[in-house]
Amino acid sequence: MSAPAGTVIFAADDPGDELSLLDILDHVLNQGVILRGNLIISLAGVDLVYVGLDVILTSVETALRHIAASALPPQRE
Amino acid sequence: MAAELTQHDDRVLYLYGISELLPADLPQEIGVALAKIEAVECGGVVCWVSWVPGIDFERNLARNMENLDWLAEASVAHQRVVSAIAKQTEILPARFGTVFRSGTSLRQHVRGRTRHLKRDFERVRGADEWGVKVFGITMQSAAVPKIQSKVHSGKDYLKAKAALRPKRREAAGTDGDLKKFQEALNRVARETAKVGNISSGQRGLAFQTSLLIKRQDRKKLESVLRKFSESWENRRRIECTGPWPPYSFVSRAEGERSK
Repeated sequence: MSAPAGTVIFAADDPGDELSLLDILDHVLNQGVILRGNLIISLAGVDLVYVGLDVILTSVETALRHIAASALPPQRE
Repeated sequence: MAAELTQHDDRVLYLYGISELLPADLPQEIGVALAKIEAVECGGVVCWVSWVPGIDFERNLARNMENLDWLAEASVAHQRVVSAIAKQTEILPARFGTVFRSGTSLRQHVRGRTRHLKRDFERVRGADEWGVKVFGITMQSAAVPKIQSKVHSGKDYLKAKAALRPKRREAAGTDGDLKKFQEALNRVARETAKVGNISSGQRGLAFQTSLLIKRQDRKKLESVLRKFSESWENRRRIECTGPWPPYSFVSRAEGERSK
């Protein structure tokens, strides 16, 4: 997300669509899921999200596409 | 909606969260591992669960969490499910990756925590979580330090890049304005929590917090953000995300501090 200086960016009353994976992980993992986390967020001693922002944004798009593609009509059980 | 859970071979129960009530409209989201979402009544509360492969969520969870594609899909699914329920009723989100081997163990766990759960429902009632980040805007982008030395591998490159980072964060970190900003947010929020395990390495990030805001106080939050945003104009940018389910404001496990 980027916008001109001086503006406040709000996202999103429709979560999942506008939010970055970074934000999702920040909140979803905040209560200290076992952040075996050094492993997740660190690569060669560097925060993964810092070096891998593009990757992490791509990942969320891929994830959303995959989930959407799986949204088949509900099956009766 | 299943009041009774049927045990599945080699599957474990993934818990999204616990609500007080069963909403009229059940969420239509797809769960983690593309599984169906079930609501189970359990000791006076409702547990939101899916049956998921034990191999992925029990035995190999730690390894899977290092796989960004896997983590993205599972965490996005978790977030969508929890948010869909949160739109209808108060929910205490479970930690990502919380699984139980059987319906019996889920019930035992939940019944043993009834008192904590009641207290947590009161804590988050009528409020949402909001994430706030402040970024410093660097005007001299042409003068951003560059990696000078020759690097021979990707690892060298990452290390060299990391060596450039602390200066930037220190420069952005100490500032009376940010303190005033934090105090203004504290006055609006019911509670605040530390957040940012994952994104703390974002470029230019100077401040980050998570707020529990009563729904009727949303306008007050917006007003604080606008005021500071205008006064910072070209120096800082504020990003606000929400409303989130109250991920950062549910009790931690027994033995941990649960303010």
